[in-house]
Amino acid sequence: MKPRTAWKGLLVLAAVAAVTVWAGFGVEVDVGALIKNFSNAADKIVLLTQPDYWFFPETLAALAQTLQMAVIATAVGAAVGLPLSFLASRVTDPNRPLVAGTRGIMNVVRSVPDLLYAAILVTIVGTGALSGVIALVLFNVGIVVKLISEAIDAVDRGPLEAALATGATWVRADRAAVLPQILPVYASQTLYVLELNVRASTVIGLVGGGGLGILIDQVRTFYRYHQLSLIILEILVVVLLLELASSYLRKRLVA
Amino acid sequence: MSAAPPPVRANSRQDDDIRARAAEPRVRPSRPRRLGARLVSLAITAVVVLAFWSVDIDWSQLAGFPANLLRYLGLMFLPPDLSTLPSAFEATVLSVQMAWLGTVIGIVISLPLSFLATAGVGPAWVRWPLRGLFSLLRAVPEVVIAVLILSVTGLTAFTGALAIAVGSVGTLGKWGYEAMEGAERGPVEAVRAAGGSTVQTLRWGLWPSTAPEVLAFWLYRFEINVRASAILGLIGAGGIGKVLADNVQFRIWDAVGTLLIVVVVVTVVIDLVSGALRRKIITGAWR
Amino acid sequence: MDSTSVDITFRGVGVSYPGGVRGLQDIDLRIPAGEMVAVVGLSGAGKSTLVRTINGLVPITEGEIVVGDRHLPASRGRELRELRSEIGMVFQSFNLARRTTVLNNVLMGRLHTAPTWRTLLGAWSKEDVELAMQALERVGIVDKAYVKAGNLSGGQQQRVAIARTLAQQPKIVLADEPVASLDPPTSHTVMRDLERINAELGITVVINLHFLDLARRYGRRLIGLRGGKIVFDGTGEDADEQVFADIYGRSLTGEDVLEARAQL
Repeated sequence: MKPRTAWKGLLVLAAVAAVTVWAGFGVEVDVGALIKNFSNAADKIVLLTQPDYWFFPETLAALAQTLQMAVIATAVGAAVGLPLSFLASRVTDPNRPLVAGTRGIMNVVRSVPDLLYAAILVTIVGTGALSGVIALVLFNVGIVVKLISEAIDAVDRGPLEAALATGATWVRADRAAVLPQILPVYASQTLYVLELNVRASTVIGLVGGGGLGILIDQVRTFYRYHQLSLIILEILVVVLLLELASSYLRKRLVA
Repeated sequence: MSAAPPPVRANSRQDDDIRARAAEPRVRPSRPRRLGARLVSLAITAVVVLAFWSVDIDWSQLAGFPANLLRYLGLMFLPPDLSTLPSAFEATVLSVQMAWLGTVIGIVISLPLSFLATAGVGPAWVRWPLRGLFSLLRAVPEVVIAVLILSVTGLTAFTGALAIAVGSVGTLGKWGYEAMEGAERGPVEAVRAAGGSTVQTLRWGLWPSTAPEVLAFWLYRFEINVRASAILGLIGAGGIGKVLADNVQFRIWDAVGTLLIVVVVVTVVIDLVSGALRRKIITGAWR
Repeated sequence: MDSTSVDITFRGVGVSYPGGVRGLQDIDLRIPAGEMVAVVGLSGAGKSTLVRTINGLVPITEGEIVVGDRHLPASRGRELRELRSEIGMVFQSFNLARRTTVLNNVLMGRLHTAPTWRTLLGAWSKEDVELAMQALERVGIVDKAYVKAGNLSGGQQQRVAIARTLAQQPKIVLADEPVASLDPPTSHTVMRDLERINAELGITVVINLHFLDLARRYGRRLIGLRGGKIVFDGTGEDADEQVFADIYGRSLTGEDVLEARAQL
């Protein structure tokens, strides 16, 4: 037994090493150039540690837009995702093909990253917050449906059976017997999605989707490192604050 | 129809029952106010309404959106330009290579760090700064790290992989020390009692019991990084994201369609394989 | 309340589960309106299946069941829901939505008649709330109306479940092992509630019970099942030791009697 597992371990290790080497050639690892670039860039790094706080007022509008986009996308994504989650769970949806279809579509929707959506939407609806919001909503619906339909799958089916036995339709029985059971999870996951959205909406502007990202794009093209530094500091503060608040609230929700 | 007269024995029990219940009066309660819950829902509604009302979006634009979307979907997928399939695939391979290399470098950096950040292994003055570093790195989106690297050294597929690595260190480090702190203490103490050095204790006491969980995290992080590498391409790191951005810019929609199909297929396949591996590692059986 | 009860008739009913397992066979049975019937038998004898065929929770594969003027398995969709709305059901594990209030659970009994928008928003009409409150008063726990169902004791939860059936204004109440998860004193409280529903409202009550003493005490008519077939149908007084030996295929033990278990 022992020698076989050792062999297997070595084999896996060798495979991982081979793939890594292959990946290394693929991305053209060049440590020499990296070191040279970094030593050339030492002064830029120093600049990056010195945020230009006077730039702050100019960032306010973009910061506000970032938060607005995150809130709107979360609200819409959570609202659209909830009924779809009921369609995507075997517990609440008696129609097997519909369950499989909803899940399949959601898997496809979820496999495209939010910034890719934004990059395409920018050409369809134009640059600005709207394309960013739509991109975030698409991604959010995918996540919400996955997380909430999994929660529904794990729910106690007894109350649903009782509601169906009173002669209720599936929709009504789902609402009355299943929704109350998943509400805390739903609230907690919505907060999680808000966290994801704030993070994403800070950068979605890099592809034209509005928010702080647009500003990042502007200052980096003009090599304003002090200002870039401040923007990144703002992102850090916002994300960390939100994470703190959210993890506190989520702990209370689950308890 | 009227109720059948109940037998005498049932009746007497019923009287007992009524007496017993009369002893403790049951009054209809009034509907509770639940002021706290109302305030919270009011506040949430206010925030959402405020966001919708104040945001700089012309909502009337949405009117034409569904029709527009259908038109563009038609341009992309009816039919997709399959002649670009080889180049799309090649670009995707580069993205996956970027993600893989980034994950491996991230693991190499984060593994020793998460050992040091584990309670009972590293001293407190190492542990807490490390944990702070992890949460700092988790707070910054990978794209921002990439932008930093880009503005300092210029962005290539390699520096993209580095950005992914740095971005991964935060989550991998945190998951690592959490897994190790959740591990059973028995084996650790056994190795230590047998006179093992710190490194030996880690290797033979801590690692065996946490390895499955940590390996599963690594795979999961790889899944995340595959998406991240596609995004990094959008801002110039190469791979599928770059090709996609270029085609969108020049409005070659049938090629964009092909690229999206490749992205979806590759991501879904990687998720499936990685997910199956993770289940195998955690539960010890192929499902 | 003016629930007019209806007869239940089984004609050659059989249930086979996928995989060929037979749950019931050749059931011919008539339960007249207003009767209180206890179904007894070993676990696996088909008690639960029998009770669940009446509201279509278990679809029958042979024969026919007639409830009032509705026929099973012919009723489907809306017709089946209408049939179910006239039949309340009490479950062994209470089947309450534990995270919402007692009142909301009882209001589930109104789901079949309320307008859809009301059921979706949870904005129940005054009349429905009044009915639910009356149902709670009847089982003596109206004071818990706004308590979360999960915070009640087992006995209280089962009474909420009974109130849920009353809110349906049913003609029939089915109870599937309603006291199997309860201690003996609570079991009697719940059984007395069911008994009063039958006596005062004239609602037909069909209960399946594992414990013989309970069945004999509360069921005016006993139906014994063994291997999916009816092996006894008569009054509690007729059911002597020999009859129970037939139903159970062995003589009685302490396991089969509630009071005996209580003493253990």
